[in-house]
Amino acid sequence: MPETNQVSTEPLRHKVPGTPLDRASPAAPTRAQALFRKIEPYLYLLPALLLVGGLLLYSVAHTIAISFTDWDLITPPLFAGLKNYIDAIRDPTFTRSFTNTLVWTGGSLLLPVGGGLLLAVVLERIPGQRVLKTLIYLPAILSTTVVAAIWSYVYTNHGVLNETLRWVGLDALTRPWMVFAPTNTLAMIVASSWRALGPSMVLFLVGLQTIPPELIEAAKIDGAGERTLFWRIKLPLLRPITAIVVIMSVIGSFMTFDLVWVMTQGGPGRSSETLAVTMYRQAFIMWRMGYAGAVAVILSTIVIAFSVFYLRATLKRSAL
Amino acid sequence: MIQRLSTGKQSLDRYLVLGLLCLFALAWVTPLAIVTLSSMKTPREQSQSAILALPENAAMILDNIASASELSGIGNGLVSSLIYASVGSLTAVIVASSAAYSIAMLKIRFPFFWFLIIYSGTVFPFQMYLMPLFQMYQTVGLYDTRAGMLLFYSAIAVPFCIFVFRNYFIGMQGEVIEAASLDGASSFQTWLRIVLPMAKAPALFLFVTQFSWIWNDFLFGQVLAKSDDVRPVMTSLAMLSGTYGKGSIPQQMAGALTASIPTLILFFALQKHFMRGIVLNTAGE
Repeated sequence: MPETNQVSTEPLRHKVPGTPLDRASPAAPTRAQALFRKIEPYLYLLPALLLVGGLLLYSVAHTIAISFTDWDLITPPLFAGLKNYIDAIRDPTFTRSFTNTLVWTGGSLLLPVGGGLLLAVVLERIPGQRVLKTLIYLPAILSTTVVAAIWSYVYTNHGVLNETLRWVGLDALTRPWMVFAPTNTLAMIVASSWRALGPSMVLFLVGLQTIPPELIEAAKIDGAGERTLFWRIKLPLLRPITAIVVIMSVIGSFMTFDLVWVMTQGGPGRSSETLAVTMYRQAFIMWRMGYAGAVAVILSTIVIAFSVFYLRATLKRSAL
Repeated sequence: MIQRLSTGKQSLDRYLVLGLLCLFALAWVTPLAIVTLSSMKTPREQSQSAILALPENAAMILDNIASASELSGIGNGLVSSLIYASVGSLTAVIVASSAAYSIAMLKIRFPFFWFLIIYSGTVFPFQMYLMPLFQMYQTVGLYDTRAGMLLFYSAIAVPFCIFVFRNYFIGMQGEVIEAASLDGASSFQTWLRIVLPMAKAPALFLFVTQFSWIWNDFLFGQVLAKSDDVRPVMTSLAMLSGTYGKGSIPQQMAGALTASIPTLILFFALQKHFMRGIVLNTAGE
């Protein structure tokens, strides 16, 4: 698409009335004016570049630099080479955090993504679609912090879940949901799915709408049942949307922070930490900036690898 | 005959599926009902009554909001977040539309390169920004200030806005050049009088999505602010909730409800834009 950018604005320039000075000598604009005309288009770009470059991209470069140092934010940083990366890989807490993050990724593919696909396929042919869709989408409007507050109440000892279990006579299933691993992580994945299901369902519904109905009709005439229709026609044609939903879900899982921090702060005993939580704890609780930087860089490498797939998919579909 | 039987069975199946779906949707929004009910009870009432029991005095919610606010500064948070979300997203929309105009319509060198530079701001996990921003803000005196929060929220919203505007502007290039050359407008006039008015739809969509993103942010409020009158609403709410929260359950739920009202209103007022938003892919924004 870059080549379309090259369309010049020459026709526009010819008609530019120009400044009074211009009018005095229309044939030869001064050197300053010519220079201004050249740099003017870049001035529109400048505020965005300053904001994004000065705050975001600068920070990325600085974090990478920090990851190669020992730094507690007070004394000057000392160059440490790859020490922080080696420490991280050898650290059992980091390994657990990494494993938890993988569990988050798997759980999010199963519940919001798989569940969203299933719901979309079922909902597609239902009369009351709009209302049901809105109800299921509703939690997605809430902030993750609000979701964390609500589900903390659900999972607390005398909370919604345990009380409900007692009420239906399943006392044996009641437990402190946030205390033991891996129950606490799994319980938080369910909470997160409550928020994430709606958007993935809506995306799949949009995808299903793009399938030409004649194709479905033709397959039905050929005697295809619902199951064949789903596996042989709908799922393959949904592939571009599926790719986007899956990649977004993986990226989102790797960046999981708010929900875990608000619900358990990664505890107890750091048993429910994700990579993002580990990074935050190392940086802002333990003041080990170098180690935190290494965790951030490892996290980013994974996320960016997936983002490259994502960008390919979206830039191709950017007409959407 | 056989065919009629089978269609009869099919419609029965259909009602069964519909029934199940309705139950599912109802169960899905039950937590919202529980939040609302609990926010209207006293702590004692909450611990003694059934979860779905109606509150004795619904006006209790006002007491709960007031005491939650005293505990965590959520009232101040509402004001701060309203400023951050409205001014921040407006700034981002203006800055991004201007940059996208330059990239898509003006004569600059390497437009795609500039686009990628700015758009790359959507790719990095937020963990890459935290430490340098914290240090920079401490050094230049922006830490724990509303100006600092506004600056950051504007910056973080720009990359995605550029992505949407650029696509939109490339689509309308021809029309604009024609209109501008008819008018004999300068490039600034073209942006202000022709391009921006034609881009109302994406501008509104971006304003709404970025507003709710900023409103819902917790992490940057946690890292870049600490005092009651700078901290955004979600960071204040987090102080009440969770394993380490210091609020009672009715206070937590009243806080959660209050903090959600603006985005809920936006959602119902502009439902179409929200749904389009996820279709347009919000990429973690």
